[in-house]
Amino acid sequence: MTTSTLRALGHRLLSVVLTLLGLLLLTFVIGRVMPLDPVLSIVGPDADRSTYDQVYQQLGLDRPLPVQFAYYLRDLLHGDLGNALLTGHKVTDDLARVLPATVELATMAIVLGTGLGVPLGVYAATRRGRLADHVVRVISLFGYSTPVFWFGMMGLLVFYAWLGWAGGAGRIDLAFDGMVAPRTGLLLVDSAMAGEWEVFRNAIKFLLLPACILGLHSMAYISRMTRSFMLAQLSQEYITTARVKGLSERGVVWGHAFRNILVQLLTIVALAYGGLLEGAVLIETVFAWPGFGQYLTSSLLLGDMNAVMGCVLVVGVIFVTLNLLSDALYHVFDPRTR
Amino acid sequence: MNHTKLLRRCAASVAVALALGTLGVVAQAKTPDDQLIVGFSMNNLLSLDPAAATGNDVVELAANLYDYLIELDPQTISKMQPGLAESWKVSADGRSITLVVRKGVKFQSGNELTAEDAAWSLQRVLKLNLAMASPWKSYGFTAQNVEKAVRATDATTLVIDLPEPTDPKMVLYTLATSVSSVVLDRKKVMENEKNGDMGAAWLTTHAAGSGPFSLVEWRAKDALLMNRFDGYWRGPAKLKRVIMRHMTESQSLRLMLERGDLDVASGMSVPDIESMKKNPEAVVSPVRRGTLYYVAVSMKDPKFADKRVRLAIRNLIDYDGINTTVMPNYGVPQQRPVQMGLPASLPSPGYKLDVAAAKKLLSEAGFPNGFKTTIRVLADPPFINIATSLQATLAKAGIEASVLSGTGNQVYGAMRERNFEILVGRGGGGVEPHPHSSLRALVYNPDNSDAAKLTNFQGWRTSFFSPELNQLIEKAEVERDEAKQTAQYQEAQKLYEAQVGAIQPFSQMVDTVVLRKDVRNYFGHPSATTRLRDVSKQR
Repeated sequence: MTTSTLRALGHRLLSVVLTLLGLLLLTFVIGRVMPLDPVLSIVGPDADRSTYDQVYQQLGLDRPLPVQFAYYLRDLLHGDLGNALLTGHKVTDDLARVLPATVELATMAIVLGTGLGVPLGVYAATRRGRLADHVVRVISLFGYSTPVFWFGMMGLLVFYAWLGWAGGAGRIDLAFDGMVAPRTGLLLVDSAMAGEWEVFRNAIKFLLLPACILGLHSMAYISRMTRSFMLAQLSQEYITTARVKGLSERGVVWGHAFRNILVQLLTIVALAYGGLLEGAVLIETVFAWPGFGQYLTSSLLLGDMNAVMGCVLVVGVIFVTLNLLSDALYHVFDPRTR
Repeated sequence: MNHTKLLRRCAASVAVALALGTLGVVAQAKTPDDQLIVGFSMNNLLSLDPAAATGNDVVELAANLYDYLIELDPQTISKMQPGLAESWKVSADGRSITLVVRKGVKFQSGNELTAEDAAWSLQRVLKLNLAMASPWKSYGFTAQNVEKAVRATDATTLVIDLPEPTDPKMVLYTLATSVSSVVLDRKKVMENEKNGDMGAAWLTTHAAGSGPFSLVEWRAKDALLMNRFDGYWRGPAKLKRVIMRHMTESQSLRLMLERGDLDVASGMSVPDIESMKKNPEAVVSPVRRGTLYYVAVSMKDPKFADKRVRLAIRNLIDYDGINTTVMPNYGVPQQRPVQMGLPASLPSPGYKLDVAAAKKLLSEAGFPNGFKTTIRVLADPPFINIATSLQATLAKAGIEASVLSGTGNQVYGAMRERNFEILVGRGGGGVEPHPHSSLRALVYNPDNSDAAKLTNFQGWRTSFFSPELNQLIEKAEVERDEAKQTAQYQEAQKLYEAQVGAIQPFSQMVDTVVLRKDVRNYFGHPSATTRLRDVSKQR
C-alpha cells in the first residue's frame, strides 16, 4: 500500500470519527434542550420534590452540560453507553436485542425490494413509453406514495385476519417463544442453526408480511431509479454500436447497459437498506415488532438520553459504513474515480 | 407468459383468497387453554420495583407476582378483605395499626414469609425515597422514623404507628392498593443488592414475591412472561402461564382478539371497542377508576385568580357534549372532586354549558370581549378531543384559546412548574376509595408559596389556596366518628363548589378491557389490582 493511500485512509477514518463525534454532540445538546424531562418520566407526575431532586442527582443531571458530555464520552470509550431508563438494562444489551430484529426485517425487505425492483426497472426501461412501462411506473408510484402504515393495516386485515396466511403481531408465535437460544439474535439464523425447523417456519410466517410491505416500499424506489439509470445507459452510443454489431437484445441490456449501472445501483440499495434499518418505525408499531425503530421512538418520547444517544450512534455508524462501502465500490468498479 | 395471462391469474388468486377469507374457511387460531395472552401498551412500564414503579400497569403485575397484606373486593371496593394479613386492629386512639400476618406462607424462592419481610418492604420504600414513597410521606413517614414506626414485633405481628394523626382507614386502603405495599422476599432481594441500593437495580427487571405467578422474563417493550407458582398459599392458580405482549396499535389488538390470538386487550381505541361490542366472541368490560378528567386553570394567572372568570370557565364546559360524544369508554360524567360511589359522594351539581351566564360573568370581571389564552393538553385521545371541544365553547364567549398539545411529560411538567393557563388533564388520588385520597390530590394545598414546591399536590400546581378548605380536609381526616366525617367531606365538596376551585372535573375515568368470551372470572379491579389467580378459560 502506498503512502498516499494510507494517508487517504487516515483522512477518511479521521473524518468518520469527527462526523460521529459531531453527531453525538449535536444529539446531546438537542436532547438536553428538548422540553422533555427524564426525571418526570421516572418518578411520575405526582412525585414530591425530594424524590424528584434525588432522582435528578442520581441521573447526574445536576452537573454542568460539558461535564455530562465528557463523562459520556469517557464511558463510551470503555464501550459503555450507560443504562436505559426505558428498560433498566445497559443500552448496549438493549441494542444487541433490538437491532437483530430490525436487521432481519430490513434484510428480508431489501432482498425482496431489490429482487423485484431491479428487474422491473430494467424491464420498464427497455419498454419505454409502452404499456409495461406505464404499469411499472404506476406500481412504483403507488408503492412509494402510499403510507407504509396503511399497507401494514391492510396487509394484517387481509393476510392475517381473513386468510390466516401470515402471523399476527410480534416476531413469533408465543408458543415458540424462547424455544431457541439466541446466538445471533436473528431468529431465522438461530433456529436454522439449532435445527428447529418448526420455529424457523413460524418465524418466516411472521416475517414475510411486514418484510413484503417494507420491501414494496423499497421496490418502488429501486425500480424507479433502475429505470432512469438504464434509460441513461440505453441512449449511449456504445449501446447502438453493440446492437449494430449484432449482439442480442438480452446481451445488450444485461451484458452492457446493466453492468454499467451496477455501481450506482449498489449505492442506492445500500442507502435504502440504511433507511430501512432506522426507519421501520411504523411497520414495527403496526406489527408490534420488538425492533430498533420502536426502541428509538419510545426512548425519544421518554427523554431517555442514554438510549437515544446509543441509537444515534448506531444509525451514524450504519450510514457511515454504508457510505464508505459504496465509495469503495465506486473505487473498484469505476476507474474514473481513482 | 404474456401480460394478460399473468394479470388474469393474479386477479383470480386474489378473488379466491378474498372469498375464502370472507366465508371464514380459514380455521380460527386459538390461544392455549391454560395460558392467558394479554395485549396492551407497555409504554408506561419502566420498572417493576414496587418502590419506584408508577402507573396502573405495574399495579396489575404486582398484584399477581406479589401479595398484599390487605385486598379490596373488586365489586365493592371499600370492602377490605384479608390478604397476607389474617386480621388487623386499629388502636383506640387511631394512631396504631396491628396486623396479624399469616403463618406458613412461602415465597416463590422457598423462603418463609414473615412479618419482618412485610416491615422491611415498607421501610425500604421510605429509605429509597423513590416515586412510590409519596403516599407514605403524606402520612408523615420518613426515612428516619420508618424503622421505629413500622416494625415486626414477632414473626406474625406487624405494627404500624402513625407518625401524624390521620384516618387509619386511609392507611389500610393504601396498604391494599399501592404497589409500594407488596411484601418482598427480603433475603432474595438482599442477595442481589449492589452498592447499598437495597436491590433497587435488580428489582427493576426482576421480582421476588409470594404471589400466584412468578416472573419468568420481562423484555421491555416486547413481552412479559409469568408462570404459575405451584406452592402458592391459596392453592395454585388455574392458569399455567400468563403472557403479556406490548402492543400499541389498537387495530392490531382488535384483529388479534378477533382471531383468538389474544384473550385480553386493553388500551383499544373507541371505534375498535365499539366494533368489538358487536362481536359475539368478545366481552367488553368497563372498569371504573377513581381518577378524574378535569379542566384546570392556573390561579397564578391574574385572570383566573378572579372567581368570576373561573365561574365563567365552569359555565363554558360542554359537559353533556363531551360526555356523550368523546367520553364513552373513557369516562362517566362526574363534576365533583370526590369520586362517585363513596358514602361521602354527593349527587351531581348539574353544571351545564351556559354561554350567556359566562359572558355576563366575563364582562363583570372586565373581559367583555373575552381574552387570549392557551390550553395545554396531551396529544392523545380523549384529551385532545376534549380540548378541541373546550376551545370551541370558550370561543363562544370570546375567549380565544390556542391548543398546545404534547406528551404527558411536557403537559404535566409545565403544570408542576406552575407554568400554564388552562390544562385538560386527568388526575387525583382516587386509588384509595376514600374522599381524602381525591381531596388531598386535587384540592389540598398547605403552602401556596413557590418555594414550597409541593409539586405532588395539584392544588399547589394550580395555586388554588383556601385555608378554610385545608382546615376542613385536615379536620375530616382525623375525625373518628364516621357519620361526622362523612358530613365534613360533604361540606368540603360544597365549599369547593362555592369557592369555584381551579380544577373542574367533568368525568370519572373508565378503563375498558375487551376479553374473549371464554375467559372466566376476570374482574377488572378499580384500583388496578386485577388478580388473575382465579381466571380460567371455559371451552
